[in-house]
Amino acid sequence: MRSYLRRLARALEREDVRSISRRYFISNGFDGALTSVGVSVGAYLSGIADGLTVFSIGIGAAIGLGTSGVWSVWEIERAEKRAELARIEHAMLSDLDETRIHRQQTGARKVNALMSGIGPIIGVVLPMSPFLFEGTLLSMRTATLASIGVAVAILFTFGAYLATISEQSWVVAGARMGLAGVLVAVLNIVLPG
Amino acid sequence: MVTARRLVLDLLKPYEPDVVTFADAVAGIDGVTGVNVVLVETDKEVQTVKMTVEGDPIQVEIVYETLEDLGAAVHSIDEVVCGDRIVEQSKTPQD
Repeated sequence: MRSYLRRLARALEREDVRSISRRYFISNGFDGALTSVGVSVGAYLSGIADGLTVFSIGIGAAIGLGTSGVWSVWEIERAEKRAELARIEHAMLSDLDETRIHRQQTGARKVNALMSGIGPIIGVVLPMSPFLFEGTLLSMRTATLASIGVAVAILFTFGAYLATISEQSWVVAGARMGLAGVLVAVLNIVLPG
Repeated sequence: MVTARRLVLDLLKPYEPDVVTFADAVAGIDGVTGVNVVLVETDKEVQTVKMTVEGDPIQVEIVYETLEDLGAAVHSIDEVVCGDRIVEQSKTPQD
């Protein structure tokens, strides 16, 4: 187990692995946060009276998106990395199975899939958490507003983080991402159904 | 196990791991006292490098295993020096 974790940590030290993992994490986390806004507003508008039920629906969405994130990236990266290895093997005229490059690719694939799965779980579970306090600290209305607020805050954080690695203004980049959460909430309210 | 004092190898390797990793990995083998890697040619997916290894003595099989593990192919052994001391090639009339 320790050597397995060490291998994952070693894979994370490589910039190319970090870069791809970051994309999957942010992209799927973005999906998760917007999904949670849709679930919370939709649940409130459809008159669900129990916060725990909304939280359970959100957890269902988190499981679905998390599994999708891990599974799809696992398969995508398997295909991409096999193709890359095949290109190098063709140029080398030799088999590279069980070499360091093969092991590095396997480690990179695991990190990519893991980060892809963690993104939507964070993006859904945190915004859904205010519904756990419905009935004690919050009403359904305030829990829904708090849920949207948490989702927008997560989106803002994603944007601000991306800004720090690309030397943009973190306020502008964060606001641009956060706006998507507000837009989804408004669309849920104004669109029929 | 075959041992040598100096080994000069012509290698074909992928871009990754880079030459620094190659040199460091071979330098870490027991008995190796120094490694020099020179880039000879760069192609689309691979690089040809000349690796000079010196040691006291070099365990040749372990050097090959390390290079294989790094994904390199030994194209040719361009120079080997064995024995108690390093002998440079001598001049002949043909030279």
